[in-house]
Amino acid sequence: MNPLGEKYLRKDFLPFLFCPGCGDGMIVQAFLQAVDDLGCVDDLALTAGIGCSAWIGVYMHVDILKVLHGRAIPAAIGIKATNPSRKVVTFTGDGDCLAIGGNHLLHAARRNIDMTVVMVNNQIYAMTGGQVAPSTAVGSKTQTTPYGNLERQLNGCKVAIAAGATMVSRWSTAHPKQLIKTFKKALNHKGFSFIEIMSQCPVQTGRYLLGSGSPQFNFQWLKDHCMKEEDPSKWAEIEAQGNIPVGDFLQVEQPEFMAEVARMNQRVKEAQAKGGDR
Amino acid sequence: MKGAERIEIDRRYCKGCMLCKYICPCDVYDLGQERSDLDYLMPHVARIENCKVCGLCEQHCPDMVLTVVAKKKGKEKE
Amino acid sequence: MKKGRIKVMLGNEACVEAALLAGCRFYGGYPITPATEILEIMSRRLPLVDGLCLQMEDEIAALVAVVGASWGGTKAMTATSGPGFCLMQEAIGLAVAVEAPCVIVNVQRGGPASGQSTSTAQGDFYQARYGSNGDYSLIVLCPSTAQEMFDHTIKAFNLSERFRIPVIILSDEVVGHIREKVFIPDADQLTFVERKVPTVPMEEFVIFKPEENGVPLMPTFNTGYKSPVISQAKSLNGNRGNAKEAVENIRRIVSKIEDHMDEFAEVQVYGDEKAETAFVTFGSVCRAARSAVDMGKEKGLAIRSVEVKTVWPFPDHLVRRALAGAKRIVVAEMNLGMLQREIERVIRQPEIKIELFSKIGGIYPQPQEFLRFLEEKR
Repeated sequence: MNPLGEKYLRKDFLPFLFCPGCGDGMIVQAFLQAVDDLGCVDDLALTAGIGCSAWIGVYMHVDILKVLHGRAIPAAIGIKATNPSRKVVTFTGDGDCLAIGGNHLLHAARRNIDMTVVMVNNQIYAMTGGQVAPSTAVGSKTQTTPYGNLERQLNGCKVAIAAGATMVSRWSTAHPKQLIKTFKKALNHKGFSFIEIMSQCPVQTGRYLLGSGSPQFNFQWLKDHCMKEEDPSKWAEIEAQGNIPVGDFLQVEQPEFMAEVARMNQRVKEAQAKGGDR
Repeated sequence: MKGAERIEIDRRYCKGCMLCKYICPCDVYDLGQERSDLDYLMPHVARIENCKVCGLCEQHCPDMVLTVVAKKKGKEKE
Repeated sequence: MKKGRIKVMLGNEACVEAALLAGCRFYGGYPITPATEILEIMSRRLPLVDGLCLQMEDEIAALVAVVGASWGGTKAMTATSGPGFCLMQEAIGLAVAVEAPCVIVNVQRGGPASGQSTSTAQGDFYQARYGSNGDYSLIVLCPSTAQEMFDHTIKAFNLSERFRIPVIILSDEVVGHIREKVFIPDADQLTFVERKVPTVPMEEFVIFKPEENGVPLMPTFNTGYKSPVISQAKSLNGNRGNAKEAVENIRRIVSKIEDHMDEFAEVQVYGDEKAETAFVTFGSVCRAARSAVDMGKEKGLAIRSVEVKTVWPFPDHLVRRALAGAKRIVVAEMNLGMLQREIERVIRQPEIKIELFSKIGGIYPQPQEFLRFLEEKR
């Protein structure tokens, strides 16, 4: 166990349940590095749904509530609502966040509630054995699209931007340094931040979609296909070539929900004290 | 020049994915013959003298099992 | 006599009044007839006490947010009706599994599906107990008056904190929308139960190790315990459990409630306790049954009305005691025979047929109909 692991992992929960070469463990490490750099471990409260990536937070020695498939975001909102000084982070997968939990993503982003959603995108339902996901490319043959996937991909970052997220980034597990930086930015961002992480899944995505179950091959695939491009007008071109734009796409300041709640509560209490009607 | 005193591999949790060997720019690792507690063939630190302590293998290890211990300052000439 | 004040209010309003007194500071909801007033009044009242009322994107999110708030360290609740209650079922199982105290009000309406949104019904009797997957237990309370809506809400919060479970208040449209006198005791006249939290250092604390009463201490978030709380069957330290640990976990979350039923189970008898004719009712139907008992008395008919206030876990022994000596048992309810089935299970006397007086379609039974039923079916 490296020093970071010694410091922050739950020793009695190890080893990770991730398959050999899975990107999820790399995300654990990058996130812990960011937390260590910021020294904010006591303020963290994590939530997760169901899926491989939902286990990322469980191994970290922090408060974590792992709930139902797709419902990590509402759980995070409940936790944040009871104590806005917490740093609430949700670990979720592409199926968890874009399919079953898609609605919650829209509304959390719309509220601009101060939390971070980390969506780990391996382009497939991995834990259940390799079924098509909203993030799977057209034409892909999966266990449930044996004749090829007919449905177009849903782009999590574009959805988050459209729904009103105030910080949106996409990186991959092949960008640990950028990832750590982005995690730190998100943890300090006052508002809803959405980080999509392209992650390798040698066992499902690798074997069924990309043609090799080797961790090295899948890692290299990410290196080859993720291109830094922060200008949205150029994404279409990159995507048309089968590549994935990465970078820090958006960070703006907007009124944050819990801060607005506190202001409203203050206002109505003062009005009531004066005997007036709100 | 920085150098590594040793590289520790935690045999309790290593899953032998060999990303360390793949990522290493200095060709430090080989696939070893020894099995970890989880019954995977582990990497073998074959050429520690090549290590520049860049930390890439540590940072990329999906099971956080690698620790690169740098040589202390002043030991380079030994 | 307790100190307090009397106010005329809606059943749903009484529920909010009690929840705020009990210390509820988070409400996650979604509008649905006939429970909407609870959300509306909460959205007005909670800001005044530094709470938060959130209208979520659906009922699933509402209850999951309530579970989150509960682990966040707050008393939290939600309210809904049939269709929303269906959406909440998975999250009820979640609240059971992660042992998050919370209160869920179901103001029942007609079903199935959208059914009759503005009409009353009692068709969620079994759903309230068995709606989520797997083996579990929880407590379901059935108010029949606005006053009971108040009293049961206080009780629901206390039981949820005591047992660390979701407690369901199975109300219905009649009780939710009735406007009547409610006695609101001063706060110092009431007893409030708070969840027990650990005080030992983090290193010595085992998160799901039960106390003597079967309930573990609750290390709410950011209090220094770094709690791993997962929805899977778990071992004592919170990790995924093996088969043996899963068995122990499931048995404990059931027995922690069912071994202590005496603390909360409640069955009332109205009328002549020795009468050979007995009505058995729950929820709003208790009201009409009471009137029928009174009308019967004027006509010289001796009737008792057995009112099941805590319907789950079903209080077998209390119901048996309340029905002792009855020769004719009529279960009156607004569904096609759900409570009837439980009474058939509990009263196993071949000579006694458990009759059903059923009203569905949103039509509330009139007291005269009870008496007519007794005459016609004789």
